[in-house]
Parts: sequence; structure tokens; C-alpha cells
Amino acid sequence: MTRLLDIGLDKIKNLLVDMSILSETTVNMAIESYEKGIAIRSKIFDHSEKLRLLQLEIADFAIELIARYQPVATDLRFLQSCLDISYGFMRFGRYAYDISEVLETIGPSHKCDTSIVSTMALIVKDMIKLSLDSLRDLDKDISPKLYVMDDSVDSIYRNFLRKTFKLDSEGLSTTITINDMKCYMSTLLILRYLERISDHACYIGDCVHYIVTGDPTPRK
Amino acid sequence: MAVENLAPVEKKEQIEESFVYLDDEIEKSHSKLVVKDVNGWFGSKQALKSININIKPNSVTAFIGPSGCGKTTLLRCLNRMHEMTTGAKITGEVLLDGLNIYDKAINPVIIKRRIGMVFQKPNPFPTMSIQDNVAAGLKLNGVRDRNLIQDIVEDSLKGAALWNEVKDELDKPGVSLSGGQQQRLCIARALAMQPEVLLMDEPTSALDPLASSKIEELISNLRERVTIIIVTHNMQQAARVSDFTAFMYLGELIEYGATNQIFKNPKKDLTERYISGKFG
Repeated sequence: MTRLLDIGLDKIKNLLVDMSILSETTVNMAIESYEKGIAIRSKIFDHSEKLRLLQLEIADFAIELIARYQPVATDLRFLQSCLDISYGFMRFGRYAYDISEVLETIGPSHKCDTSIVSTMALIVKDMIKLSLDSLRDLDKDISPKLYVMDDSVDSIYRNFLRKTFKLDSEGLSTTITINDMKCYMSTLLILRYLERISDHACYIGDCVHYIVTGDPTPRK
Repeated sequence: MAVENLAPVEKKEQIEESFVYLDDEIEKSHSKLVVKDVNGWFGSKQALKSININIKPNSVTAFIGPSGCGKTTLLRCLNRMHEMTTGAKITGEVLLDGLNIYDKAINPVIIKRRIGMVFQKPNPFPTMSIQDNVAAGLKLNGVRDRNLIQDIVEDSLKGAALWNEVKDELDKPGVSLSGGQQQRLCIARALAMQPEVLLMDEPTSALDPLASSKIEELISNLRERVTIIIVTHNMQQAARVSDFTAFMYLGELIEYGATNQIFKNPKKDLTERYISGKFG
């Protein structure tokens, strides 16, 4: 016999699926817009807003289910994790919007070397896909893989940050052009946003690990 | 000064510790009650199958499980009430502070004095006043000192959080109180014997939510002076009031551990399915 709680849990699962599809699309759009130099801020803003509203809807509904049915064990861990996972998806949307705003504020990137961003973006897209797979299949073993990828992302970000500081400390900043500066700034900001998306992908993996095992990941 | 500063930290650690007790740690720690390989029968029907459980002092332990799983039978084995049922039999040991309560040299009356019991339905003595209900056990045990009885009655009623409501009407019949008050009167009656362990068999199942919540608060406060074991069908009540939870099924103890662990991350699939309402 289906429990009343199961009807609510199914609704939340469907909302999470909607969020996962939308958040992945939004991040991909933002990366593509940077790589191709196409400004689509308002469209990404709409997606980001939709993700925010979905996150609020999930949070409200999860609290309602807790209050009504007082779930325990896996059900409780799932609802608790839904709050974190939906927040993660909402952040994906928000960082995608931030990326699109860099493009609007600093200008198109076609005169910049986009290879570093593209390299990191490839890893981050894979991470998003993996985190969504882990959620869909409730695969607790994806979490360690995500952390290995996150280390690569962190390393790319830190190396670029050091390179930027090195330029300044060697007094080379006087020789670089305004365009170079814009490129450095936009690259640094976008790398930062991608690095944050990567962190949230790891948190989603952690949540899945917690739902399945009841234990936080060893990394935590 | 240093000692004063340390005191709250120690207390805090003790409180935190009580929430992370796992099976092995319960095993190692001092136990108020130790149930060793207890089997119970009603005639030829075996109601309890090789139960082993250690109860930590000054803790609240909840027995949960579907109807007929043996929760109440186990509870009644803990103060020798099971053997009072015709045809009932028990094997194994129940140690209270290391003393086997089923030892032939032990007087069952002494055990019932040390291990009190509160039942599902409030059962005050119908012809007695509130005062006499609480004092009944003392008088039966030969206490004659009126001042002492008065002090114990007051202390017990305060312990049961009933004093403020009845202090001006102690001569009224016990049955004139509301259901919730009657149940607290029964708790006061049990406390008057100054038990070390209090067994509660679904103590709120006949009460409204407000009276139930008063009993739950009371249970929480009482753990400072007694070790409490409660049988309940209400999962949320077990989660709210107990430090440890034991899940029973078909006469067997399936899982026993810290309540937080049992309700958040049970180790056994059967426990998970029961507490999640997937069967039972």
C-alpha cells in the first residue's frame, strides 16, 4: 500500500528532476555564451529565477512533509538532503547568471584566451552530469570521483590566481593593455564561479552518499 | 575556580555522550538492568526469544514494535509481573545492579518496590483520596510515621508534576481527577516507593495530546532520579522522549541503539521498514 508520504516524496523527486535539468542547461548556456561571446543575460536570469522559485517550492514542501508525516530514517535523510540539493541547483543557476553578467559588464571574450575557462568548464560540466547521475541512481560511490575532479578544478583556479598575482608583483602590469586586463578579470571571475559550481556538485554527491548510507562522506 | 569552570563542560559532554551511545558502548558501560538470554512463554506459545539488552542508568529506553511483538511481555519480565499470569513462564536472567531478580532467595515484593510500573490506563484506587492513593504503598509496607508519609506524598506529587494542581484538594477522590491527572497520580504513587527503575506501559495511549505532552515532559525530568523504560506505539513519542530505542519483532530484539541512530540511520532493514511505516 502506498504511504501518503510516498506521494509527497514523489512530487519532490519530480521537482528535483526539473531543477537538475534546468540547472545543467543554464550552466551550459552560460559557458557557451562566454566561449562564443554571445550575451544572453536576461535568458539566464529567467532560468536562475525559475531555479530560485523551485528551490523555495521544494523547501516549503519538504518542511510540510516533515510536519505532516514526521518521516524517519531514509525518508528523513532524503528530505533533509533535498533542501541541500535544491539549494545546490539554485546556486548553479546563480553562478551561471554571474558568468553571464561578467560578459555584460566586462565585454565579449572573443579577444581573450578562453582555453583555461574551457578546460575548467569541461570538467565542471562533467561534474554536474556526474552529480545528477548520482542523484538519479542514488549512487553513493560517485562522491569520491567528484572530489578528485574538484581537486583539478581547484588547482586550475589557484594556478591562474597565482599567475595573475605574479604579473602584478613583477611589475608587468604596466605593460599589459586594457584588453589584457579585462581578459584577466573576466577569466578570473568566471574561473571562480566555475570553481564554486564544482564545490556544489561535490555537495550533491555528499548528499546522495548521506541519503544512502546515513553517514557523511569521509571527506566531510 | 578551575573546577567550577570545568563543571558545565563535563555536564555538556555527558549530555552529548548520551546521544552517541552505540551498542558496544552500552555493552561496556555500567548498566542498571541487564537482560540475559530471556525467553518468555504463555503456555506453549513463546512470546520472547533469547532477549539480551543492557539498560543504562538514568536513561529513558523505549521499546517499540508492532502489536504482539513482545514489548509488554518483556517489560513485565523486568519486575516479575510476567510470572503472575497463569501459564506464563520465563527463563534467563534479569540483573538489577548485578542482582538476579529471579534468584530464588529474592522476594518479588522487594523487586516490585525497586522497579515500579505505570500502566496503559490510569488506575487510581477508586475508593481512596489523592493523598491515600500516593501513600497506599508506603502504608502497605508498614510506614506509620505521618510526617514522613506527608513529606513523601508531597515529594512524589511534585515529582509527578501534579502537586500544584492538587495541593488544596488532597482529600478528594483520586478518580475525580482528569485522565491525564490520574495518570500522573499513578506515577506519583509509583514514585512514592522511591523506585530505581520505572516501567511505563503505553502511559499516554489513553490521554489527549496535552495530557500526553505533560507526561512526556515528566518522563524527561524524571530520568534524573530513575531509570525509565517505556513501551510505546507512538514512534514520534519514542523519538521525543527516549535516549535509547529497542525495536522488537515476533518476540525477538531486532535492533537496539541510541534513539538518534535508530530513527535517522537504523542498521537493520526491518527496523527501517517498521519505523518508516512500510509495514506493521
